Amino acid sequence: MVSALPAGPDGWLLDITESGDGRSVVLWEKSRRDGRVRRTALEYRPPFWVTGPRAELVRLAGRLGSHSEVAAVALGSGRPSLFDRRPRPVLSVTPATNPGRRALARTVDALGGYTTFTLYDVDLSPPQLYHLAHGLYPFAPVAGTGTRLTATEPAETIDYVPPPLRLARLEVRLLGERRGRIPPPDGRIGAVRLGEATLEGPEEDLLRALVDELARSDPDVLLTQGGDSFDLPWLYRRAAACGLGPGEFALGRERVGFGPARRASTFESYGRVLHRSAFFPTPGRFHIDRENSFLYDDAEIAGLVDAARLSRLSLQTVVRQSPGTCFTAMEMAHALALGVHVPWKKNRPEGFRRADRLVAADRGGTIFLPPVGVHDRVEEFDFASLYPHIMVRKNLSAETLECRCCPQSPIRAPGLGYRSCLGRVGLIPRTLAPLLARRLAYKAALKRPGLAAEEAARLRRRVKMLKWILVTAFGYQGYRNARFGRIECHEAINAYARELIAALVPEAERAGYAVLHGIVDSLWLRPQDPDRIPDPEAFAARMSARFDLPLGYEGRYRWIVFLPAVTHGLGVPNRYYGYYTHGEFKLRGIGGRRHDTTGLVRRFESEILSLLRTATNAAEVRALLPRLLARADLIAARVRAGDWPVEELLVSHRIGQPPGAFVTFTDSVAALRQLDEAGSERGAGEVVRFVLLERASRSFRHRVRVAELLDGSERYDRDAYLELLARDAETLLAPLGVDRASLLERWGVAASPERAPYRSPERAAQSELPVGSGG
Amino acid sequence: MGRTAPTYRQALEERMKRWDEFARLLTTPEERAAFEIVRTGARRYAAQATYVGSPDLLESILLSVLTDLAARLHAVPATRDSRR
Repeated sequence: MVSALPAGPDGWLLDITESGDGRSVVLWEKSRRDGRVRRTALEYRPPFWVTGPRAELVRLAGRLGSHSEVAAVALGSGRPSLFDRRPRPVLSVTPATNPGRRALARTVDALGGYTTFTLYDVDLSPPQLYHLAHGLYPFAPVAGTGTRLTATEPAETIDYVPPPLRLARLEVRLLGERRGRIPPPDGRIGAVRLGEATLEGPEEDLLRALVDELARSDPDVLLTQGGDSFDLPWLYRRAAACGLGPGEFALGRERVGFGPARRASTFESYGRVLHRSAFFPTPGRFHIDRENSFLYDDAEIAGLVDAARLSRLSLQTVVRQSPGTCFTAMEMAHALALGVHVPWKKNRPEGFRRADRLVAADRGGTIFLPPVGVHDRVEEFDFASLYPHIMVRKNLSAETLECRCCPQSPIRAPGLGYRSCLGRVGLIPRTLAPLLARRLAYKAALKRPGLAAEEAARLRRRVKMLKWILVTAFGYQGYRNARFGRIECHEAINAYARELIAALVPEAERAGYAVLHGIVDSLWLRPQDPDRIPDPEAFAARMSARFDLPLGYEGRYRWIVFLPAVTHGLGVPNRYYGYYTHGEFKLRGIGGRRHDTTGLVRRFESEILSLLRTATNAAEVRALLPRLLARADLIAARVRAGDWPVEELLVSHRIGQPPGAFVTFTDSVAALRQLDEAGSERGAGEVVRFVLLERASRSFRHRVRVAELLDGSERYDRDAYLELLARDAETLLAPLGVDRASLLERWGVAASPERAPYRSPERAAQSELPVGSGG
Repeated sequence: MGRTAPTYRQALEERMKRWDEFARLLTTPEERAAFEIVRTGARRYAAQATYVGSPDLLESILLSVLTDLAARLHAVPATRDSRR
């Protein structure tokens, strides 16, 4: 007799993965009754679509009919493109195996000379397509079984109960090694921690015990710190060394080979070279590597579950990809729901334009130069998700801009004249509107009285996740690879935003404010008359109604400092710090916010800020200067004494190019050589961390010491760190008249000696540099 | 992120590199200080110049410099009076 459960779903669909046989997908369903996870394999080979002239399609169908990689071809008609107004001939091609999908698509594309055919849905994965074709999504509450599995509520449901996931931390320790060191190539595993259990013993027994423990505690999520680059590959490597095969050793709920599903790679994003570790599959079980996830830290599981539901991407994918990938997947989901398919290669090149038009169109948002100095009585106003709201309100989407159906449309981008369609809602607004509604609903729910702390934390994570996705929605309009993006959308959004700020300036002045600073969607205003302070909430409400866009009141600053550029002394738009009347700092562009800052600088800044916390207005900030300088002197004295802990002196540097490509001998090059000598290779996009020992040294062993090789006996370069400190003090306190040169003089640091360049006559002196290994 | 046209701020900095050559042959501290004022003035109204989006870079630079100078004149009435 089974005990009765309250009404609700039978369970949750956790994930859909591709099966090893290449012809099926595997559904992983977690039972609500006993929490066990059931595996169901279903045959599924989705087709992709090809359009082109009918005669060419018929010829193609004939040629593919006998192709061994093709299971089926069928000629029909449809409107696969977002721009299609009338049906046209479409050939559906079903690959013989799912992994052969892309290769077959490339063959088709080549047969058409890369111009005849347009291909659709090629790079959507079978699990993604299965979700969309069957009304399913990750973490859906489900009823039924097999092919008749149905979601009991739509993915867009705002108030949902997430499935209870079992999380377990996984951590591998090598025999006699500390974490953070360079592991020896044959390092044996001494202990493994899984959740509450710590396993030890001879290696092979330990690995077998790990498999047993995984079966016993059966976690849904493995949480690691660096698992993609260390723990997982090391487990597989040692399992293989012990002679275990996939039959005996598996970390997922299914046996798979020990190799990575994706190799490590280097890529570029927003001008930065980044590194992504390899990815080892654990089918049926999620592996989240906090070090390899852009989103995990901000959104945690609650936010990721939300993103997976909306994008129909596996949690495993969401956690390793950028928010832009999630947004693109959401667009794809909406497109397929409209009966539109996803073009494989974007076939909408930018049209040619006159140069002056291009200059006029290709402009960003409005960014003022703030007045350098300390200010008080400053009010801050921000538009929430301004760009997404503009896209929705103005119906901005690739297919709705300059449409043929609405030549008289009054919705026109200011200054550019691009028209928006009045007849149909574009794909981008369709995708964004529910996200905006969702974010607002979560924010409203957060304000509910008596909200449980746990629920509040969950909502905050979902809000953050959505924020990231909404931010990328704009950037992707101008990205060359964005499937549904169009550069004119990008330009139109900026044009509307610029117009908005321009219209707000006189409105703010009429309300009694003076505009101090503004960046794209934020304004810093000060009352013109200190005795007549306008009501900021009323102003925000009035402007929201006037412009039909949500302007929010962020708060009043007791004081705010706008910082100058070192090069020209004028204000830098995004470099400031201030203290709100509600007792919170806002810091932008100063050292402590940067990832490469040393602990020393972070410590210095936090001490300066805690002194400044007592100031209630600009005059009090200025009056604190002697105390701030005294604090700086104190820290400088300790640095000079040579006993600052070296861990707080670690400088991080992200390598922007392959180690062999450096031509000058920098601190980073010295660090790379040290790592190389110790048997640890780093690629472009990875981070090196080191302590400066002797900056003027041309020996890679003496110049720096990498974090992995620190032993505590290092004597750091005091002048170099005093210089770092002085530079940061100048950044923070320049508006109070502090400059680097006089600080250094005060601390008795001689001007830094000129260092001979690497390629110099003294090159002979660089005897310790290995010859021929780059440089 | 590829963009076809440089931003106004980029174009301005590019143009100002040429100005450095001009400044090298200024011979008195007063002239150099005056030149710094012009340089600062050129940078001060980048937001406004971007908003206009004029294809004529020099027009935007001149407007920025002139506005800056006019604002300085306005802020120092004594100087203005003594020149009358």
